[in-house]
Amino acid sequence: MNFHDPAALLSASRLTVSYPGTRALDGVDLTVRAGESVAIMGPSGSGKTTLLHALAGIITPTSGEVIVTTEAGLVTVSALSESDRSRLRREDFGFVFQQGLLIPELTVIENASLPLLLAGQSRATAEAHAVAWLARLGLAGLERRRIGELSGGQAQRVAIARAQVTGARLIFADEPTGALDSATSRETMTALLEAATDGGRALVVVTHDEQVAARCSRIVRLRDGRLDGAERAGSEEAA
Amino acid sequence: MTATTTTTGIPARPARSRRGAPIARLTWMLARPGADSLSTLLLPGVAFAVTTALLLTVAGGGAMFWRWPDEEWAATYQLLSGLALALLVIPLASLSGAAARLSARRRDDRLATLRLLGATGRAVVAITVLESALIASAGAVIGVVLYLAATPLVGLIPFGGAPIGAAAILLSPLWVAAIVVAIVLLAAVSAVVGLRKVVISPLGVRLKQSAPRVSWLRMLVGAVVVIVAFVTLQSFGVLPSYTAIAVAIAAAFAIGVGVLNLVGPWVIWLIARVQLSRAGTAQKLIAARTMLEAPKVAWRQVSGLAMTSFVAVVGGTGVSFLIKEGGPADQVVLFSDVRTGIIITLVASFLMVACSVGVNQASAVLDRRDLYVGLDRVGMPRGVLEAARARGIMVPLAWVSLGSAALGALLVFPLAGYALITAPASLLVIALAFAVGIALVSLALVATRPVVTRVLEHPERAQ
Ligand SMILES: Nc1ncnc2c1ncn2[C@@H]1O[C@H](COP(=O)(O)OP(=O)(O)OP(=O)(O)O)[C@@H](O)[C@H]1O
Ligand SMILES: [Mg+2]
Repeated sequence: MNFHDPAALLSASRLTVSYPGTRALDGVDLTVRAGESVAIMGPSGSGKTTLLHALAGIITPTSGEVIVTTEAGLVTVSALSESDRSRLRREDFGFVFQQGLLIPELTVIENASLPLLLAGQSRATAEAHAVAWLARLGLAGLERRRIGELSGGQAQRVAIARAQVTGARLIFADEPTGALDSATSRETMTALLEAATDGGRALVVVTHDEQVAARCSRIVRLRDGRLDGAERAGSEEAA
Repeated sequence: MTATTTTTGIPARPARSRRGAPIARLTWMLARPGADSLSTLLLPGVAFAVTTALLLTVAGGGAMFWRWPDEEWAATYQLLSGLALALLVIPLASLSGAAARLSARRRDDRLATLRLLGATGRAVVAITVLESALIASAGAVIGVVLYLAATPLVGLIPFGGAPIGAAAILLSPLWVAAIVVAIVLLAAVSAVVGLRKVVISPLGVRLKQSAPRVSWLRMLVGAVVVIVAFVTLQSFGVLPSYTAIAVAIAAAFAIGVGVLNLVGPWVIWLIARVQLSRAGTAQKLIAARTMLEAPKVAWRQVSGLAMTSFVAVVGGTGVSFLIKEGGPADQVVLFSDVRTGIIITLVASFLMVACSVGVNQASAVLDRRDLYVGLDRVGMPRGVLEAARARGIMVPLAWVSLGSAALGALLVFPLAGYALITAPASLLVIALAFAVGIALVSLALVATRPVVTRVLEHPERAQ
């Protein structure tokens, strides 16, 4: 069984993900603690997205396990049913992808408040929370805009607001700045780091960008589905 | 465009000497049904089959009246069957268009890729048109079989006081062939139209900047027409003669059709606005925004029903009243036949709308593959996705069909009230036809769930 560090929000042990003909992930151990930001780097095809998806319960690993600290206690992700994993992602995790994947018909505020609506909050409460997050991310005044009326960086910040609005303690981001120019990328990353790591929360971000990674408290590197040498133990570089 | 350069100005590969061969090979490579594309292949195929079968049956019925033995009433029967055919044209056209669009769209992504790789616009169009036409041909052939198989059942329908018999609606092989060819042509044309986007811009999907607005002027014009019509119709008084009734029904029909088309998109927009402000759940919010996004599209999908529902109520009320009133035996037979025709037309319209909804929804899900996969990843429950989709269809459907029915009832108000009291059974049958129709459309929605399942099961195809 896995030893789960009490300070850890998430710990993964011996994660392996096999596809016919490839082993995308091969025995990866990783621990994410509160207040930490972990950058996952590595060449294309090295298994970064696969690792992120396995950590977040989007895919089920072929073997190994992920244990998450939630408000309700420790949860072994792979033991959950499909709908419980969906709920875990919705209520305990936040996500930011390369493309915001915001609903284009909805306005900024409607997109940002959606997770709260899904959690059964009233529209007024949900929108009040969303307004606060949008303001914090510098989007005050844009609440009623449609997603198509935003710049790429603004849309990513809406995605960050959506990821944060439930108060999720773990944020997963897959190349969140991949589609942005370097200045916008810096701003977006600042917003993400500030929003995602205060108050005992943590961020796991997949990136190709060394500058983005350098701003995280720890970098892990993947190669052919395995963690690269030094970072293998996981905690040496914690800032 | 020439054979040596693409539209982007990049020199193409050395001139191809056997143009047809590579296109045929590419089509085969692209058309091979993968595990995930089976339902997108089947859906338009089924839609074309249903379209063909319905069209043949309805045309057969129409032709039957042109051979009608009863001298005295032949003209009336021909007129009414012409009306029924006219009513079925709208849903039929939107169904075949939807089927063609889907069969074109299921290859959009790969075609766009091909295009980016330098395939000429013409080659891309050729591949898609060929494929759509093949699917349509296969569907149409199955449709002919369905039509033939259904004739004994359709033959049980009574017209002229007795079942018409299976042979009555059989068309000559020449007509059948002509209809099949017409459907395949329609599919090819719709595929070209549906593809323009990919050919023009390989990078395809873009987000519209702002939601379209629909003018309230439509409502104003519509309201004026309804009031004028209402006043005029009321001045007919207690409907003194059958001629007056025929005139009243024809006038109400023409006015209703015009008004509905004018007002429809605006009404859908208005309903969506109200639902938006009241939406307390994610599915209601998303459904309302979806309707607001494209009220005209939402309207077009169900507009065929507006006409039919309207006519069903106006006509159904009229004949129910007349049957109850009695009169010469041949007239009573005529009126029961009209009622039969109304119910058939209503159910056939619903059937076609149901097929359009199924096909359009399948396209919509494929279009939004990335979004659905993304929403699934962030933990949006599948049930919410489905509920939002269903509401986006069923709300306009219910409002349009029941709203048009209500408008029809309003236009023949005194008669409708009278018929409700004196001939409730007749009206009940029509109400039942509405219920069956709405159930058919929800079934069509359920039938598209496997498309969502497949999209979510193969998220890797989304990126
Ligand atoms: N659904 C799948 N089916 C089969 N193989 C897959 C699947 N998903 C990923 N792979 C394979 O697993 C390996 C790791 O893929 P992954 O997407 O995790 O890479 P990545 O590090 O995120 O790459 P990139 O930087 O290009 O996004 C690759 O070899 C990929 O082809
Ligand atoms: Mg990746």
